[in-house]
Amino acid sequence: MTGPGSQPTPHAGTDEVLVEVKGLHKSFGKLHVLKGVDFVVHRGEVVVLLGPSGSGKSTLLRCINSLEEAQKGTIRVGDVTMNCGQWDRAYRHAVHGVRLQCGMVFQDFNLFPHKSVTENVIEAPLLVKGMKKEAALQRAKELLEQVGLSDRADYYPSQISGGQKQRVAIARALAMDPKLMLFDEPTSALDPELIGEVLKVMKDLADAGMTMIVVTHEMGFARDVASRCIFMDEGVFVEEDSPENLFFHPQHERTKSFLRHILPKEGDNVERVAGGAPLGMGDEAPQEMK
Amino acid sequence: MKRGWLRARLLPVALLAAACVLFVTAAPAWCAASSSTSRLPVVTYTVPSALSASTAVTAWSGNSVLVNYKPGSSPVDAARCELSINGGRLTLTPLDMSMVGGNGVQFPISTSYVMPHGDLKFKVVLVTKAGERTDYSWTYSYGGAPKPTLIDTGIMRQWWRYIARGGIVVVELTVISIAFAMVFALFGALGRLSRGLGLREAWDKHHSVSFLVGNTARKIPYWLATFYTSLFRGTPLLLQIIVIYYGSTAVITWAQARWSIFDHVGFPSAFVTGVAALSLNYGAYLTEVFRAGIQAVPKGQTEASWALGLSAWQTRRRIVLPQAFKIVIPAVGNDFIALIKDTSLVSVITVPELLERAQLVAGRTGNYLSPLLVAAAVYWMLTIFFSFWQARLERRLEHDRARA
Repeated sequence: MTGPGSQPTPHAGTDEVLVEVKGLHKSFGKLHVLKGVDFVVHRGEVVVLLGPSGSGKSTLLRCINSLEEAQKGTIRVGDVTMNCGQWDRAYRHAVHGVRLQCGMVFQDFNLFPHKSVTENVIEAPLLVKGMKKEAALQRAKELLEQVGLSDRADYYPSQISGGQKQRVAIARALAMDPKLMLFDEPTSALDPELIGEVLKVMKDLADAGMTMIVVTHEMGFARDVASRCIFMDEGVFVEEDSPENLFFHPQHERTKSFLRHILPKEGDNVERVAGGAPLGMGDEAPQEMK
Repeated sequence: MKRGWLRARLLPVALLAAACVLFVTAAPAWCAASSSTSRLPVVTYTVPSALSASTAVTAWSGNSVLVNYKPGSSPVDAARCELSINGGRLTLTPLDMSMVGGNGVQFPISTSYVMPHGDLKFKVVLVTKAGERTDYSWTYSYGGAPKPTLIDTGIMRQWWRYIARGGIVVVELTVISIAFAMVFALFGALGRLSRGLGLREAWDKHHSVSFLVGNTARKIPYWLATFYTSLFRGTPLLLQIIVIYYGSTAVITWAQARWSIFDHVGFPSAFVTGVAALSLNYGAYLTEVFRAGIQAVPKGQTEASWALGLSAWQTRRRIVLPQAFKIVIPAVGNDFIALIKDTSLVSVITVPELLERAQLVAGRTGNYLSPLLVAAAVYWMLTIFFSFWQARLERRLEHDRARA
């Protein structure tokens, strides 16, 4: 495993283990989606999960904050440990404890359409943290400024673009001051020209030291921001390494064939992250690319 | 543009309804006018068969005028009763019909009597043995039988206020019932959605008896709600109204005979039982509407809310239900308008709403069409009024959705 510090990546994280997943099993009926996943994320790390659809990467993300109930295994986030497969009060308490530490950003935004942008952001702090309204509004103002949407504070989700919606969703998740941010294909539902603004916010967030687990197909983002990439297939981790190594020197045949499909062809404009270098192909490209 | 379309659709209907009401309240005299009186006739009469409008009466073919008389304290004294036509008293011997098992007095008119032409004014004087006199007059037009009146504008003019006041009762019944129905529907829908796992699934999930018991206990609201909707959607509303009206009285009587704490429990009024039946029935239908509305809120909304740490109840109250309410407003509007008309069913338990009042007037005046048409017009105006507001509301929602 690529530990923190072993690679000179920008968001390598600290030694503190923030997320620890052990022996996680999840099945939908007869379909075994996660087959014993072990997984560690250090504080400050940015981990990108890759894999074909149905490989279990979204499910893993959703298991971490219990949007899906795993059948077996333990998940620890910060100082809260969930023993999956339980249903008692302690388990439910742990679920709540984990959710308080995780912010989640969804593929299709899931903003509350009956609430304005500001109301979306202050909803959880008011209800869950019992924050005073003035304080929550002040925090919302800061967060909206952080994602560059100060001028959209009083708009409704229906009145703003997809990229703006996703930035509001990020601000909404940040409003709970999470230790960990989970991104579930945050740019997949966006028009290509709107992807950059969201990725920039995510990059800024990573630069500010946020621990992030990201499911994405944005290879440029993965290369520039991720400290670690994990390739998943059929419910297990096939390979994990630094983005450079994983993309250009994959060890497993499965990884290679996947990357053949996912990596951009020569000449594609892959520069979407502001300031990020395009993912160089040329002589670095794996042989299988032909 | 939409606004114009709405106006084009609604205005003609509204104008038509207004014209109808105008006609009902101030119709021209071509509807055979007749005297209307709030004093109910004591006597009714049987029209002699020979006196029909189609027969020109030149010679009397031999018949009689039968005057039905409701006996009061004293029996009628046939010998002193009189019949006069156009002011001329006929010399004839009235028969007391009570002798042959009937009611009233029969005036046999001899065949030799020559009926005058034109309008015949009949007048009967009834005298009881105690000496009370009652007289009653009527007119045959053109020497024939009185033409049956189709729409009696006189009755309408006299009674429309009384009938229309039933409209207020209708609105009260509708608004109160729909409010209670929505409360029932909210709980019904939450119950219908708390289905939990099946026995098999629950056992397979944890292989634990305590989980199985807990899961089964959580299904009780589902069973209750399912029973409720099944029962109230599976039996006629009219039956429910009658059962609740008579049943509540019966249950209280039954309880009072056994336990003294029920001594001071009064019988619920017809209005209260009517509201109970209507709201329970419509609550059952709205339960399904609400259930569909809640299910129509995307799953992602719940997930986003949970991910933010909101509890299940907070998610339901703050995120799901507000969106579900918006979705069900058109359907609730439809049911509201249907309910306006279904309130007419509580006339069977004597709630003085529109139909009941119209029927009372019909019974008193003997003219059924006139008061019932007044009631119909009021119902129609109410539904037009509320349809208009519903259309406006829906348009606004559509506008909101278009923004979405």
